[in-house]
Amino acid sequence: MIAENALPPRRVRAANRRGIRDGRFAWLYLSPALLIFAVFTIGPALFVLYISFFDWNLLNSSLSKFVGTRNYRDLAHSSDFWHSMEMSAYFVGAVVAGSTVFGLGIALLLSSRGLVRRAVRLAVLTPYFTPLVATSIVWVWIFNPQFGLVDSLLRLVHVHQIGWLQSTTWAMPALIVYTLWHDLGFTVIIFLAGLSTVSNDLREAARVDGARYWHEVRDVILPQLTQTIVFVIVITTIDSLQAFTQIYTMTQGGPLGATTTTGFLLYEESFVFYRTGFGAAIAVVLFAVIALFTLLQLRVTRSRAN
Amino acid sequence: MTPRVHNYSWEGAMHRHRKIVVAIVAALVAGVAAYAAYGASASTHATINISFMEAMSSGTQKPALDTLTKQFEAQNPNINVTLIAEPNYGVLLQKEQASVAAGQPPTIGQAYENWAASFADAKAIIPITGYVNNKKIGVKVADQQQIWKGVWKDLFLPDGKIWMWPFNKSDYVMYYNANKLAAAGQRVPKTWVQFATVAKALTKNGDWAWSTDTGTPAAPADGTIVMLSLIKAGGGTWIENGKPTLDTPAAVKALGFLADLKKSGALQLGTNYPGETALGAGRSAFDLSTIAGYPYELAADGGKFPMKVAALPSGRNGQGNAMAGTNIVIFTKTTNAQRAAAWEYMKFLSGAKQTAYWAEQTGYLPVTKAALPLMKSYIATHPYQQIAAQALQVARGNPPYAWWTEAEGDLTTAMQQVLDNGGDPAHALATAQQKALAAANG
Repeated sequence: MIAENALPPRRVRAANRRGIRDGRFAWLYLSPALLIFAVFTIGPALFVLYISFFDWNLLNSSLSKFVGTRNYRDLAHSSDFWHSMEMSAYFVGAVVAGSTVFGLGIALLLSSRGLVRRAVRLAVLTPYFTPLVATSIVWVWIFNPQFGLVDSLLRLVHVHQIGWLQSTTWAMPALIVYTLWHDLGFTVIIFLAGLSTVSNDLREAARVDGARYWHEVRDVILPQLTQTIVFVIVITTIDSLQAFTQIYTMTQGGPLGATTTTGFLLYEESFVFYRTGFGAAIAVVLFAVIALFTLLQLRVTRSRAN
Repeated sequence: MTPRVHNYSWEGAMHRHRKIVVAIVAALVAGVAAYAAYGASASTHATINISFMEAMSSGTQKPALDTLTKQFEAQNPNINVTLIAEPNYGVLLQKEQASVAAGQPPTIGQAYENWAASFADAKAIIPITGYVNNKKIGVKVADQQQIWKGVWKDLFLPDGKIWMWPFNKSDYVMYYNANKLAAAGQRVPKTWVQFATVAKALTKNGDWAWSTDTGTPAAPADGTIVMLSLIKAGGGTWIENGKPTLDTPAAVKALGFLADLKKSGALQLGTNYPGETALGAGRSAFDLSTIAGYPYELAADGGKFPMKVAALPSGRNGQGNAMAGTNIVIFTKTTNAQRAAAWEYMKFLSGAKQTAYWAEQTGYLPVTKAALPLMKSYIATHPYQQIAAQALQVARGNPPYAWWTEAEGDLTTAMQQVLDNGGDPAHALATAQQKALAAANG
């Protein structure tokens, strides 16, 4: 401000005009992206909010009836909804914990020198780039109780056959194992990026002082990775809350709702049973939960930038 | 002031004349409307474009439908049919729903009975009784009577009108490994009681009798359909007076029967067509699935053993077979000329010659008895086709109610509770009935 005030008035006016012109150009350049975002993201999101107040007829909207907050009240009293929230918490909790612990462990392994490094890197990163649907189907066969790899190995050690995807106890763990297998590559990349920022001087100093590897990790590396860990937790939570493809392909929410997360319930209510208004209310609640985590992520990212 | 009496006769005459004129005009309008609705295409020379959204895109289905469509277009040069092929029924339903919601549906589409009920509730499809019974362009009563009884009943919605026309129909049969039965000295079971006895006898040395998938509430599979057949075979019902009846004594008995098979190890549950896999691998002896799956069963077998086909076992009320496959519906947002052209195409596909060709090419069943004489040489080499086709006489399709999807899912849940978790059949079915009833009552 001081510098600008110091300029002659003519220059200030010219600078202002340039600023306005640049601003207009900026909006012009941004407009295609904004238009796409408005049409395909903001618009549908607002429409979902709108139909959540209706007994919405998916096939003929003119037959829809305004019901106020009834869908939200039904949601509050729906045992299926609360069960799905429990299942979501189970799934998200396990995937976030697994991704963070294993992701960090593998990133540490990959950041150190060793013969297996390249093989592990390939093994961990490849699944992340494979299509969810295709690999989900492969894992359906791996978990097949009669012909699958897992049960075949268990039979070798005389463990009784387990119907992984048919059992209310084991279906969710099976789904979590698959999700970790598929998504671990992403968290490993993030942790590797975080590890590259850890001060080597401090690590060497610790080693010179006689610290063992575990002490080096605990007292030097982890404190410097705090923001990366928070970022991974937040981003994995958001991803897990939105998980759908593997549930749809591997278990269809079953057996007995054992893998019906809130995201899957939304699909079931809206597009299988045609309770579109009720499904929209679930979407709004899920959106609110995800928005909370997104805000958290933004804060973490901002504080990281600062 | 003009005396009223003088005008009375004039007014009366005018009134009478007006009535006659109105009656003539009304008759003309009705005639023109009826002609426009049911007979417009006969004299239309301009090209009429119609589209058919379908899921006949795999294996021999696509070339067979392409061939039939080309034949139709050759016979009807003013009608152009565009096939919109979808990869499976799930995607087909989503695409049909999306196109209806967007106000741009195809002219016609494949639909299961409960889909048709949903579409009709939303006024998205039209009844076709007027076309079917039309003297000029309809189907003669004698030809209607040739359509399998089960298939004919399947065309109606509860309002008594015809809303669908048959296309790719199939029903359930019993595939079996003839070697396994012979080795165990067992005969092919004809009743469910015999099936249980044979199944238990074949369950030994790590092998079992039958694998199936109950599916999930969102997507019930073969296991649930076999359960429905068992209910019917045992004298039970699926619906009565427009409401679900999932907890009848016959249903409790049927679920108890399956639970007993599961407990003995004769029945194993799985996902992703487990019956086909286990039978093909030589681990199980039976698979209960649709006749349309014959090529897939054959591929799974791979020539390792003689795989045979028999009719689904019967109960005290007969076979109780469940019909699979879809019908065709006409969507509302279409012109009269398109509807008439679509009807011609639908009628063509269900003709004896065409349905025979379709059956021979794809493994689906001919929708009319009139096709069987045309299939003599094919049936000689594929005798199971006749077994399955005859079962269409008694087979029943999905109840034509939009809520049936949910009710069927509730039955699947009950099955999982009993077969996977050892629940009590009566209790599980009572819970399913309660939920299904709530869905039916909206």
